[in-house]
Amino acid sequence: MKKCLFSLATLLGMTLAVSAQEVKFEEYDLSNGMHVILHQDNSAPVVTTAVMYHVGAKDENPERTGFAHFFEHLLFEGTENIPKGEWFTIVTSAGGSNNANTTDDRTYYYEVFPSNNVELGLWMESERLLHPVINQDGVDTQNEVVKEEKRLRVDNSPYGKFLEKIKLNMFKKHPYKGTTIGKMAHLDAATLEEFQAFNTKFYVPNNAVLVVAGDIDSAEVKVMIENYFGPIPRGEDIERNFPKEDPITAPMRAKAYDSNIQIPAIMAAYRTPSFKERDSYVLSMISTYLSDGKTSKLYKKMVDDKKMALQVGAINLSQEDYGTYILYGLPLGDVSLDDLVAEMDEEILKLKNNLISERDYQKIQNKFENNFVSSNSSFEGIANSLARYYMLYGDVNLINNEIDIYRSITREEIQSVANKYLNANQRLLLEYLPESEKE
Amino acid sequence: MKTKLYILIAVFFMSTGVNAQIDRSQQPKPGPAPKISLEEPQEFELKNGLKIMVVENHKLPRVSFNLAFDRDPVVEGSKAGVTSLLGSMLGNGTTNISKDEFNEEIDFLGARLNFGFGGGSASSITKYSNRMLELLADAAMNPLLTEEEFQKEKEKLIEGIKSSAKSVDAIAGRVGGALAYGKQHPYGEFISEETANEVTLEDINAYYEKYFNPNNTYLVIIGDVKTKAIMKLVKKHFKKWDKADSMTTVIVEPNENPKTLEINFIDMPNAVQSNISLSSNVSLKMSDPDYHAVLIANKILGGGFNSYLNMNLREEHGYTYGARSSVGTDKYVSRFSAGAAVRNAVTDSAVVETVKEIKRIKAEPVAADALSNAKAKYVGDFVLALESPSTIAQYAISTKVNELPEDFYTTYLQKINAVTIEDVQRVANKYFSAENARIIIVGKGSEVIENLEKTGIPINYFDTFANPVEKPEFSKPIPAGVTAATVVDGYITAIGGLEAVKAVTSVMVSADVTIEGMPFKPTAVIKTMSPNMTSMEMSIEGMGTVMKQKYNGSEGYTEQQGMKMPMSETKLAEKTEEKGLFPETYLDATTLTLVSLTAVEGVDAYKVMVKEDSFRYYDAASGLLVRTEKTEEAQGQKVTSVEDLSDYRNVNGVLFPFGRKITAGPQVIGMSASNITTNEGVSADDFN
Repeated sequence: MKKCLFSLATLLGMTLAVSAQEVKFEEYDLSNGMHVILHQDNSAPVVTTAVMYHVGAKDENPERTGFAHFFEHLLFEGTENIPKGEWFTIVTSAGGSNNANTTDDRTYYYEVFPSNNVELGLWMESERLLHPVINQDGVDTQNEVVKEEKRLRVDNSPYGKFLEKIKLNMFKKHPYKGTTIGKMAHLDAATLEEFQAFNTKFYVPNNAVLVVAGDIDSAEVKVMIENYFGPIPRGEDIERNFPKEDPITAPMRAKAYDSNIQIPAIMAAYRTPSFKERDSYVLSMISTYLSDGKTSKLYKKMVDDKKMALQVGAINLSQEDYGTYILYGLPLGDVSLDDLVAEMDEEILKLKNNLISERDYQKIQNKFENNFVSSNSSFEGIANSLARYYMLYGDVNLINNEIDIYRSITREEIQSVANKYLNANQRLLLEYLPESEKE
Repeated sequence: MKTKLYILIAVFFMSTGVNAQIDRSQQPKPGPAPKISLEEPQEFELKNGLKIMVVENHKLPRVSFNLAFDRDPVVEGSKAGVTSLLGSMLGNGTTNISKDEFNEEIDFLGARLNFGFGGGSASSITKYSNRMLELLADAAMNPLLTEEEFQKEKEKLIEGIKSSAKSVDAIAGRVGGALAYGKQHPYGEFISEETANEVTLEDINAYYEKYFNPNNTYLVIIGDVKTKAIMKLVKKHFKKWDKADSMTTVIVEPNENPKTLEINFIDMPNAVQSNISLSSNVSLKMSDPDYHAVLIANKILGGGFNSYLNMNLREEHGYTYGARSSVGTDKYVSRFSAGAAVRNAVTDSAVVETVKEIKRIKAEPVAADALSNAKAKYVGDFVLALESPSTIAQYAISTKVNELPEDFYTTYLQKINAVTIEDVQRVANKYFSAENARIIIVGKGSEVIENLEKTGIPINYFDTFANPVEKPEFSKPIPAGVTAATVVDGYITAIGGLEAVKAVTSVMVSADVTIEGMPFKPTAVIKTMSPNMTSMEMSIEGMGTVMKQKYNGSEGYTEQQGMKMPMSETKLAEKTEEKGLFPETYLDATTLTLVSLTAVEGVDAYKVMVKEDSFRYYDAASGLLVRTEKTEEAQGQKVTSVEDLSDYRNVNGVLFPFGRKITAGPQVIGMSASNITTNEGVSADDFN
C-alpha cells in the first residue's frame, strides 16, 4: 500500500514537470488607466523597465505617415527634467542599456539595469510619458536622423522596398497599405503642433502598458509606480475603427523595380488572419515546415538539391488586424521566376493533398518549443512578451500557454488551413526586378 | 519537497523608507547595491571521481549540461596542436552512432552540443534532456576518432596557420606568449605547421585516453531537472567511465622578468601597424586578497574606453583605435600587459605614452570619480551577466577550480565596492611593472627602429618564432649615383623602353581572384585606357557580375551587390592627376624622393616617395616595380593598402606583372592573370 502511494506521488510529480514553464506575473490598472504587469524573479539582480504604447503606423493620419516611428526617435530627445542629449548618458553611467522599436501596431521602449536602479528606469519612462520636450529643435534633429535611417535601411538596401510594394498591393483600405517608416514628404510637411497633438492623443497612460520584470520587491515597486505614474493625467479614449479589407478572390500580379539589385526575386503573398486567430498559428507552423532552416522542404529542394534558387524563404508577417504570408525566391542562373513559383506551388499542393509526415510534424513541434522557451530566457524577453500578449493579444497568460496552442494543432489542421489560405486565386505574385529591366 | 537552497546576501543593508512625496526634478539615487542570489548547486561524486553539480531551476523547461575538465597545463611540445585537433574532432558522432546520424538527431531535437579539449556542453528543452545527456556521455566516452576526420581537421588547422603567417596580430600573440613564459612552458608553446604535421591519429587517441577521464572532471547540470532523477541517469551513463591514473605534469619555470625595461622587436616588413604589448609576468590568483583591487586598477589603467591608456593614445593623440591593458589570474603564472596596435610612424611615441600612463597610475592617487565610475561599470557588467544561467555554472566551476572561498561570488560586489584610492595605487605598484617588463613590438623595422632607438630603451631582436636574432639590416646605404630619376628610368627601360611603353593605349587583363577567407573563386576583367580610364568587373560563376568599378575620365562608381556608390571626391581628384597608363611616363622626377634601399619580400628594393603617404618600390636588381603602398583616411582611421606585383611577362614588347596581391587592412586579395592583351578589345564604352 505504501509503495503504491509513493509511485502515485512520483507520477504526479512527473506530470507537473512536463508543463514546467511558469512565468509568474501580477497585473493591475492605475486609476489613470495605465496597465501594469510585474514579473518578480529574484534569481538575478537585473531588472527591465518597459512601456508599450498601443500606437503604430496604422494609427497615423494617412496624410502624415511615419509619425509613430518618428516618435520613437523624438521621445529620446529629453524631458522637462532630463536635458537634451542626457538620456543615454544616464542609462550607461548606471550600468544599463536601452532601446526602442516601432511596428504598424505598437511602439515599445525599454531599459535593462542592475536591479537597484529600478527607480531610475521608472523615473525615465514616466518622464517620457508625462512631459517630453517636443520642440522644433528636436523635430529638426530627428527629421535628419530618420531620413538617414530610411536611406540606410530602405533606399540603399537591396530588396529594401519589397514590403512596401507588397503591402501596397495586398491592402486597399486598411492602413497596413502604408509603411512603418512612412513618407518623408509627410514628415517634412508636418507642423510642430501636429507632433504635439499626436503626443497628446496617443502617449497617454490609458493607451500604455508598463512592465517591470526581474529582481524586484513588488510591494516596493508598486509604490514607486504609483509615485511616478499615478499623477499622470488620463487621456481621451482612443477609438480604432479601421476599414475592413474585401477578400482576395482573383489572382493578382504586379511588378516592382529596385535600382539596388541585379538578381530578380519572385514573391508570393497570401492574406492571412490576425495573429490572434488560431489559423495564424497553423500558418506559422506551415511557414516553418516550408522554409525555416536548411532542412526545410523548399530550401532543401530548391537550393540544395535542384540548385534552382540562390535563396528561398518565407516571411510570416503576423499583425494585429491581418497577416501576410510571403514566400520568396531568388533564381540561380537562367531559372525563370515562373519556374520558382511552380516549385513552390508543388510543395504547397503536397501540403494540401497529404498529411505531413509524423517526423516532420514532431520536428516543427520541437522547433516551436525551443523558440518559445528561448524567447523567455531573459527579463527583457519576458517583459516584451508580457506587454505584447496583454496589449495586442488580450491574454497575458499566453506567455505560459501559447505553446499549448501549437501542441494542439494536428496534421489534419495543417492540411485544412493550407487549403483555406494558400490558393492561387487569393494571392499576389510580385516580380521584384532590377531597375535595368524597366521598359 | 523543495530542496533548493538559496544564499541571499545583502551587500549593504539599508532600509529605504518609502516616501510618497517624490521630487521628480531629481534623478533617483540607486537603491542599495543589488542582492546577489546565487543558486548553490547540490554536489555529488561518482565512484570514478566525476563530480556533479546540479542547479535545479524550473523557470523554463530547458536543461543545460556542462562537462568541464580541471587539468594542469598540458605540455604538447613537438606535437603542439594535438589538443586543438582532438577538441575539434570530438562531438561528431560516436562509436555507436555515425557522424551524420548524430548531427541529424541533434538538429531534429532542436538541441545544441559542443566539444573542445577543455570539455563539452549540451542543451535542449526538458523533454529531450535525457537523450542529450546520453549523447553527451556517449560523445565524451566513445568518440568517433577516424583517420578521415583527423586528416580533415589537420588540413584546416594547417590552413589556418598558413593564412596567419603574415598576420601581425597572430605573430604578436604567438611570440608574446613565447617570450614572456618561454617556449618550453605550456603557456609559451605554440602550434606551427611542423608540430601540427608531427601529430598522428595515435597521438590523438593517446591524448584522449590520458585526458578524457572522470578525474578532476565536473558535470554541471542546470535547469528543469529533478536532482534525484537526473543523478540516476548520470550514474547510468557515466559510471562506466574509467578513472585514470593520476595525471602529473612537470611544468618548467616561466622566463624571468627582465631586470630593466627592454624592447623585444620582431621585424615584419609587411606590417603597416605596430603591435605593441608591454608585458610582465605576475603571480595573481583569484583567491588573493588583492584580486578585486587589481581588477579596478586595471579598469582605470586600460580596462575600458575611459581608461588612462585609451584616453591618451586614442582620444588625445589619435595613435590607435583602442589601447587596453589586462591582468591575468592563474595557479601558476600570468601576465600583466598593456598596449595597442598603432600606425608605424607613431610606434615610438605610443611606447613612451604607454609607459607614462603606467607610471602615472603608480605615482598618482586616482581621482574619486574615476574610481567610482570604474566600480559602477564593474558592478553593472557583473550584475547583468548574472542573468544568464551559464554564468552560474561558470561560477560554480570557478569556485572549485580556482580553490575560492565558498562566499567568493556572493561577496564579490562588496569587495569591489570596498576598494579604496589607496588600494588602487598599492596594487598598481605591486602588479603593474614599467621597469621589469618587455615591450614586445611586432612591426616594420625599416620604418620604426630608428625612432625606437631614440627612446633609449635597449632593443633585442627576435624572429617570428621567438628565436633571438641579430639586428636585421633594415635599410642599406644607397649606392652613389642612384636617384629617384635613375630608378624610374631604370624601370621604364626594364619593362621595354619609353617608345614601347608609350605605344600602349589600352590594356585588358583577365585574372583569377582569390579573397582570403572566402570560398568563392571570382574572376576579374580589368581594362585600362589612356590616359586614365579604368574598369574592373568581378564575377562569380553562377552569380554573374558581383562587383563593378568604373571611371570614364570624368566620373566613376563602384557597384556591389546591387548597391551603386559614386566615386568619392578625393578619389576623383586623384584620378584626374593620372596622365597615362604608366605613372613613370609622366611623373616629374624632381617631385620624387628616393627614400631608402630596403627589402621587399626579402629582395633589395628602392623605395620612392611619390607624394605624402604614397610610395613605389623598385627591385634594385631588375628595376621592376614590385610594390606600391598608399595610406588613406577612411572613417577617421588611416588605412594602408599595399599592392605587390610579381611574375612579369612580355606582352607585345612590354613587361606586365601577371601576379598581384593587394593587402588592405585585414583583407588580402590575390589576382593571377590568365591573359593580358594590349591595344585590343577595349573601347571607351567599357568605362561607363
